[in-house]
Amino acid sequence: MPLKQEVPWYKLAVIYQAHVRTFYDSNGDGVGDFQGLDQKLDYLKELGIDTIWLMPFFPSPLRDDGYDISDYYSVHSSYGTLEDFRTFLKSAHARQIRVIIEMVLNHTSDQHPWFQQSRSSQDNPRRDWYVWSDTDTGYSQTRIIFLDTELSNWAWDPISKSYYWHRFFSHQPDLNYDNPAVREEMWNVMKFWLEMGVDAFRLDAVPYLVEREGTNCENLPETHGIIKELRRKLDEQFPGKMLLAEANQWPVDLRPYFADGDEFHMAFHFPLMPRMFMGVKLEDRKPITEILQQTPEIPPSCQWCLFLRNHDELTLEMLTTVERSYMNDTYARDMDMRLNLGIRRRLAPLLDNDRRRIELMHGILMSLPGTPNIYYGDEIGMGDNIKLGDRNGVRTPMQWSGGWNGGFSAAEPEKLYAPLIQDPVYGYPAVNVVSQKKTEHSLLNWIARIIAVRKTTSVFGAGSIEFLYPANHRILAYVRQLENETILVVNNLSNAAQAVELDLRRYKGNILIEMFGKNIFPRVGDLPYLLTLGPYQFYWFRLRRI
Amino acid sequence: MRQMIIDELTQAMQELTRGFAHILPRIIVLVIIAFAGWVVAYLLKMFLRSILRLIKFDKLSENAGASQLLTKAALPSATELLSRFMFWMAWLGFILLGVSVLGILGLQDEIARFFLFLPRLFVALFILFFGLLAASFFSRAALLAAVNANLRSPRLLSVSIRTIIIVFVLSMFFEELGIAEQTVLVAFGTAFGAVMLGLAIAFGTGGKDLAQQFLEKRFSVGKKDEGKEDELSPL
Amino acid sequence: MAEVKVAEESVLTDDFLRQLINVGEVDILVGVPTHNNAKTIGAIAETIQAGILTFFPRERAAIINVDGGSRDGTPELVASAAIDDARPNAKMYTLRTFHSISTQYASSPARGTALHTIMAAAELLRAKACAVISPESTQITTDWLATLLRPVYTADFDLVLPTYSRHRFDGILLTNLLYPMTRALYGLKIREPFALDYAFSGRLGSQFLTQNAWHEETAQAGSETQLTLTAIAGEYRICQSFLGTKERAERHSADLVPAMRQTVGALFSSLETNFSLWSARTGSQPIPTTGDERKFSLEPLRINRKRLREMFSTGVAELESIFQSILSPATLAELQGIARTEDVPFRYSAELWVKTIYEFAAAYHKSVISRDHIIQALAPLFRGRALTFLAENINGSADDVENNIESLCLEFERTKPYLLEIWKQ
Repeated sequence: MPLKQEVPWYKLAVIYQAHVRTFYDSNGDGVGDFQGLDQKLDYLKELGIDTIWLMPFFPSPLRDDGYDISDYYSVHSSYGTLEDFRTFLKSAHARQIRVIIEMVLNHTSDQHPWFQQSRSSQDNPRRDWYVWSDTDTGYSQTRIIFLDTELSNWAWDPISKSYYWHRFFSHQPDLNYDNPAVREEMWNVMKFWLEMGVDAFRLDAVPYLVEREGTNCENLPETHGIIKELRRKLDEQFPGKMLLAEANQWPVDLRPYFADGDEFHMAFHFPLMPRMFMGVKLEDRKPITEILQQTPEIPPSCQWCLFLRNHDELTLEMLTTVERSYMNDTYARDMDMRLNLGIRRRLAPLLDNDRRRIELMHGILMSLPGTPNIYYGDEIGMGDNIKLGDRNGVRTPMQWSGGWNGGFSAAEPEKLYAPLIQDPVYGYPAVNVVSQKKTEHSLLNWIARIIAVRKTTSVFGAGSIEFLYPANHRILAYVRQLENETILVVNNLSNAAQAVELDLRRYKGNILIEMFGKNIFPRVGDLPYLLTLGPYQFYWFRLRRI
Repeated sequence: MRQMIIDELTQAMQELTRGFAHILPRIIVLVIIAFAGWVVAYLLKMFLRSILRLIKFDKLSENAGASQLLTKAALPSATELLSRFMFWMAWLGFILLGVSVLGILGLQDEIARFFLFLPRLFVALFILFFGLLAASFFSRAALLAAVNANLRSPRLLSVSIRTIIIVFVLSMFFEELGIAEQTVLVAFGTAFGAVMLGLAIAFGTGGKDLAQQFLEKRFSVGKKDEGKEDELSPL
Repeated sequence: MAEVKVAEESVLTDDFLRQLINVGEVDILVGVPTHNNAKTIGAIAETIQAGILTFFPRERAAIINVDGGSRDGTPELVASAAIDDARPNAKMYTLRTFHSISTQYASSPARGTALHTIMAAAELLRAKACAVISPESTQITTDWLATLLRPVYTADFDLVLPTYSRHRFDGILLTNLLYPMTRALYGLKIREPFALDYAFSGRLGSQFLTQNAWHEETAQAGSETQLTLTAIAGEYRICQSFLGTKERAERHSADLVPAMRQTVGALFSSLETNFSLWSARTGSQPIPTTGDERKFSLEPLRINRKRLREMFSTGVAELESIFQSILSPATLAELQGIARTEDVPFRYSAELWVKTIYEFAAAYHKSVISRDHIIQALAPLFRGRALTFLAENINGSADDVENNIESLCLEFERTKPYLLEIWKQ
């Protein structure tokens, strides 16, 4: 049904997050590449994906999985050439798949020529491109992000005999955004990729762009100014492109990144994600509803990006101490699973490989207001390998088949960039695309199905939300509306069957049509609407008045 | 002459025999009825006894203190007493029924009146029994309440209540039996009224301070007595 | 059996059942029976909530209020202690939803019905540990929740009874009758057999529900007694926890008879149904006690002793006819003796007191007169005993008081065979 108002593409998208390295190796060197990714675009199309978000693929010493960039204008040789990327981009567009790439604005690798020049001497023209100081006492109120590895935000440079500022690893010096030359150059970088045809940027680590003494150096007004400038240029020269913010902040601190619709188009809703996991364990919707109650309204053109897992640890930063200890005790009993105030596990292992729980979480992901994001491999229920250090346990090769190297690469297994998951439960012989495609009721097919159902309506992506607060706290229920379409979503967060009475008086006279089976359910009358749900079951109802 | 005497004798004998023949079957019927009555009365007694046992009548009467009275009067337990009473009444009734069959005039009316009288007798005895129970129960309750509330002359109160109730019950008893109905009614009415009036006067004039205190304690809100002494709380 | 089921069904109204469905399974349940307690219940509900959130922050918990038809808004005050997302409360942070629901009695208002409803709710919600808090316990602190519930929740006890530090003359009925007699007959040193604040396990609650017919007697009084006795009979694990100091309640001397009805009456009637249990026991065992030591406070009190003396003498004199049905002639003669003496200091000895009580218990068993009257008749005699207890302990230390009570207990234990003897006559 055509809507009266044009809805921006990113509100209706379903995003698939993947790293080109992990996806498919076409040339047998043990590392995924763009030609391989190109070959797998049909798989994504069949799944129902219309947007792919690529992890950093620029040249890099790879000491932080590509987030330490040493050249902004090229492609890392392991993944192919710039031409390979261009081809891939064209193929994607031909299949109506948009491409989001990473743009790491905050810092570069210490191997980047700019830093090499900057550190060479105090008089170098690029000296000012980074943040230098003679002491390491500046900006003392700033927190350390990588608590497990870094002791300070300042690192000593033996070459220029001074300290440089880095919010992340010490080999990732922060660029100095007070320098107009830096700002101009970074726009040029973005322009380069936009002209090639890239549809959107995920701007990594945006809160930390600017430092000021006496602050915690996060979310400063100057940072917002820079973003506004970028957005202005983007809208002028490249309309229809999108900026996605990665900012792990409380909703109220995230709100400024939307400003009046003149900064970011989208931002990840970080605080919601751990609370979804918490709600399912507590069997109580309270954490979820409360965080959404505290989430401020955003401009109509803006959108939240929702996700269950990503390439990083499941961050518990945006939780109170009580909540964090509860999450650790329930989801990460093994200390090895914990990293940097988070839990480094994939979706399926976190949910005990419980198919019903995995389905429920996807149901909530796809029905809350926002654009859902699927992390590669979670659609088949891939496992993790926590012994791989840092966060590499959730970045293992994609499991295509039960055959050689899980169908990922023709190379010798020892050459693979990372070992495959091999255990009997999550290993590639058990969990892979080929066998799931053959099985009618596999997780893969189920996820394709739910994406298809979601796409039958714009309500999920662009509609309003109103929570119902049934007295049974194990039930998370809400109504989504857009123009004259209304959808009722009811989720059972508990492990046991539940009965719930919903107050649907406002929707009296409507017939409920369950969206997966399209069967009709009783009409809403005067009495509270009684529903019973099995363990972890959820319903999507279209409300129809005939 | 001899023939006349013999004829008369014969006639007399015949009449007597006729009389016997007339009455003998009835006597047999009477005996049969009496016998049947005995059986029925016995069954009724058993029946009543089991019902009373089922509803724990003995316990009831114990609770009300009636058992004590009965024991003092060397009577058997309440259940037993009632059952036996029922037996005798039933059997007597049957016998009288049998007697009425005999067809002796005059007696029949009396018997009919007796039967009509029986239910009223039952009711009257019933009233008397439970009335006495009530009297003893309430008088004891009053005694205990008065003692625990530290009132003066608790026994006086107790006995007064017992007397009033007994008088009341007795007048009901006589009224039910229909004995000197009017007399009893008037006498009771007068006595009762007089007592009430007397109490009212006494209470009104002599006891008005006490009444005031009582009302204050019952109905005043939030007024604590500034106790010069502390109270003990039992729990 | 069928009778019990009907009674269970009628104790939960439809509306309450619906609320229970919404609460779902809980780990901890706190029951609060109320009737027109608006003055105190708000603070108590808040303290309970705070206690649960402090000591059991991750557990699923709920407050269940059973109200006897209050007109002063008591149920609403309890319901306001709930924490859920429909009424966001910025001040109070919790991991979970905290339910606080209220129901009215389905049948006649009585404390026994309240406990029955609480237990039915606990059973349906499969609570592992339940606490019952009286709406008059204004001295409640958040620690109470831990003290009462932890032994059940983590240490696997089935019944936790409270102990308090009291004034030495507070609760004389308890120290001179209820405690010694319960101890002597049932063989356990339970200081507060008639607690208003206690905790029990789901196990014990279920057992109690299935095996007890809810007669009028049980409902009116002493359902807590029955709970304690069920625990003793079933050899459940019982312990005591120190809850703090019990403030002297503002009481009137007129409150004695109702108090006795509830406690002494319940104790005596429990002897009927539990004869096999108490007749076999000898001596008494201590039960595990946690928390601080209980101690007596020794503040001076001004008690009107003359009035106690008077009431005792009057009682003995006026109730003679009643006593004749209850007491043995020897005991009655002794009582009359001490009532009469004016110059010799009054002394209602422990031996005589024990004999008195046991004879009353036997008379109660035989229902020589109406049972309620038997209890009422005991009241003046208790006053006499209270007088002696006052006299004996007015100058002693806290330890002396304790020792006196202990020797009274031993007297009860020693004389137990006498009770058994007269019981059967």
